[in-house]
Amino acid sequence: MIKQVENPILEIHDLTVSYDQSPVLWNVDLSLPAGKLIGILGPNGAGKSTLIKSVMGLVEPSSGYVKLFDQTLDAVRNRISYVPQRESVDWNFPASVLDVVLMGTYGKLGLFRRPGKKEKTLALDCLEKVGMTAFVHRQISELSGGQQQRVFIARALAQEADLYLMDEPFAGVDMNTEAAIFQLLQEMSAAGKTVVVVHHDIYSAVNYFDWFIMLNLHLVASGPKNEVVTEELLRKTYGGKLNLLSKVSELIRQKEFNPLKG
Amino acid sequence: MSDFLYFFSFQDSSIAFVVMGITLLGIGSAFVGTFSFLDNKALLGDAISHAVFPGICLGFMLAGEKNPFYIVGGAFLSGALATFLSSWLKSNTKLSDDTIIAVILSVFFGIGVVFLTVIQKSGNPEMAGLNQFIFGNAIGIVERDLWVYGSLSVLIIGVIGFMLKEFQILVFNPEFGKAVGLPMNMIRFVFDVLLILSVVIGIQAIGVVLMAALLITPGTAARFWTDRLGILLGLASVFAILSGVFGTYISYLLPQMPTGPWVVVILSSIALISFLFAPKKGMVSRYFHRRSYLQKTQRDHVLKSIFKARELGQEGLTRAELLSLYPHQQSSIKNSIKSLEKEGLLFVNQSLIKLTEPGKYQAKRVVRLHRLWESYLNEYMNIAPDHVHESAEKLEHLLTPDLEAMLESRLNFPKLDPHQEQIPRDHDEL
Repeated sequence: MIKQVENPILEIHDLTVSYDQSPVLWNVDLSLPAGKLIGILGPNGAGKSTLIKSVMGLVEPSSGYVKLFDQTLDAVRNRISYVPQRESVDWNFPASVLDVVLMGTYGKLGLFRRPGKKEKTLALDCLEKVGMTAFVHRQISELSGGQQQRVFIARALAQEADLYLMDEPFAGVDMNTEAAIFQLLQEMSAAGKTVVVVHHDIYSAVNYFDWFIMLNLHLVASGPKNEVVTEELLRKTYGGKLNLLSKVSELIRQKEFNPLKG
Repeated sequence: MSDFLYFFSFQDSSIAFVVMGITLLGIGSAFVGTFSFLDNKALLGDAISHAVFPGICLGFMLAGEKNPFYIVGGAFLSGALATFLSSWLKSNTKLSDDTIIAVILSVFFGIGVVFLTVIQKSGNPEMAGLNQFIFGNAIGIVERDLWVYGSLSVLIIGVIGFMLKEFQILVFNPEFGKAVGLPMNMIRFVFDVLLILSVVIGIQAIGVVLMAALLITPGTAARFWTDRLGILLGLASVFAILSGVFGTYISYLLPQMPTGPWVVVILSSIALISFLFAPKKGMVSRYFHRRSYLQKTQRDHVLKSIFKARELGQEGLTRAELLSLYPHQQSSIKNSIKSLEKEGLLFVNQSLIKLTEPGKYQAKRVVRLHRLWESYLNEYMNIAPDHVHESAEKLEHLLTPDLEAMLESRLNFPKLDPHQEQIPRDHDEL
């Protein structure tokens, strides 16, 4: 069940991605509507993070392409915002909460220009939206997991984008923070922003999102909630490994040479 | 003493020049080194500093004398080759980082020593002092060298200052930098060039073997004192300058004494002092912090013992009774009693130690937290009543009023703990 849309905000065309030798995403082909709250679901190692990393140009696809707002990534970078996984950085780095949120303005500033008063005001606004005003000058290593996650979301807000890609923003977050973040995402989508979220918990996901992408090395489903959240598709996504695909990956890995790469 | 005054009054313009050079060198290498330390790439600096040695020798062979342009050029090229090789090996083999660093370091330095031997055999009269590049000699710097090393230092400081935001994101979250469209490969390249240059500027004054220490130690030591990047860079520079100037002074006093080892000695002392005495992160402050926590724990236990005696209907405890409860901590319990008396939580009446009103308040709080925690463990985590005491004994000192309120509301303000003992509240009579 893969539903394609007219005038997609994001179009992924026949995307295959390999790490080193083994393919981790096979022929993903989907398009997403604007203004929706979209969840990417799938078991561990299904390629969820890889999918949004390849949208952000952080991993090179073996084949296929991505179009955003009907353009290439480089033409519209300023309209896209990215929240990496919290564990992907060293939180002992000597920086304050404000320093990290200001990084969200670096893209628009470009090389060499330093953030000024305008950027600072923006960063403070974003911190207020995630309820972290009291922590502006706090050293980032002193934050709890949930607070670190909020800082990352504030940094994404400071990018002032139209499309938000978030990698596991609910990982290691307490219930209150999860509810607060979710409410913020809903407000953003109500304001016409498109928010794509990698999420691991299917039970809460059903309540949170109105469009779903289900992955398990290949695209199982992409479509509105009422059409794709079915027992059959969920079983296809989570139930058992896709033996054949992982066997082929293994075979390619042993050859030490990847025929899928051009 | 007169030497000291002569040196530090800078009346000798050549000394003033050298000190200025060392200062610039210190700031430059502290800036670059702090970033590479934060990036967990401390060893790369060490590999590069050894790897510039064959370049120095080649530069000398080509020029036939100690011409700073040839030497700096040769050093830079062989440093660049080493950097390129290490990243090539990393992306094209499965060798681990430390293997690559070890291989690059020893191979390049070995080749350098072979070149040095060849030069020494050649009988070129200019070669005297070439081995100064191994351990450094700041006093041997002449004005022509100074212009080269000084302007390179200024260049490094300028670029770091100008690209602070770029290097910050390079170290903290390069993936995000790429996602927002910053040319991270170019920024990484500029940083690598600065790293090589910062080694190159130190070869005359500090020497190739010990240059890595001037890169890494200032930032490492400064990290104990601050959590702010700006202060970190400033402090690292101060440490680098102090050690550089002092090392130069030693080389001035004793012309045979190389500068590099002395710089390392001073830097290591600064690092040791930071490790021991820095507020919050230093060993000594952590020791005292821990000690004062343990003392508070013990005071809480004394209050609790008297409280429990009151629960059993006694007015208080005699000193002997109290001490007999803690047979292994006699002297520290005596101290706890003394300081509790001073704080006004205890008083002694007719040889009985009793709680004052504030003492009762504090004792009730500790007992309450203990019993609330026991109830929580028993009720929510299904831990048997005879297994909950140990954990509560430790956490009763730690729980904050916030957590206390949460426990109370979760457990719905219980009257009794799992051992059927009463949970005391502030308004309860004792």
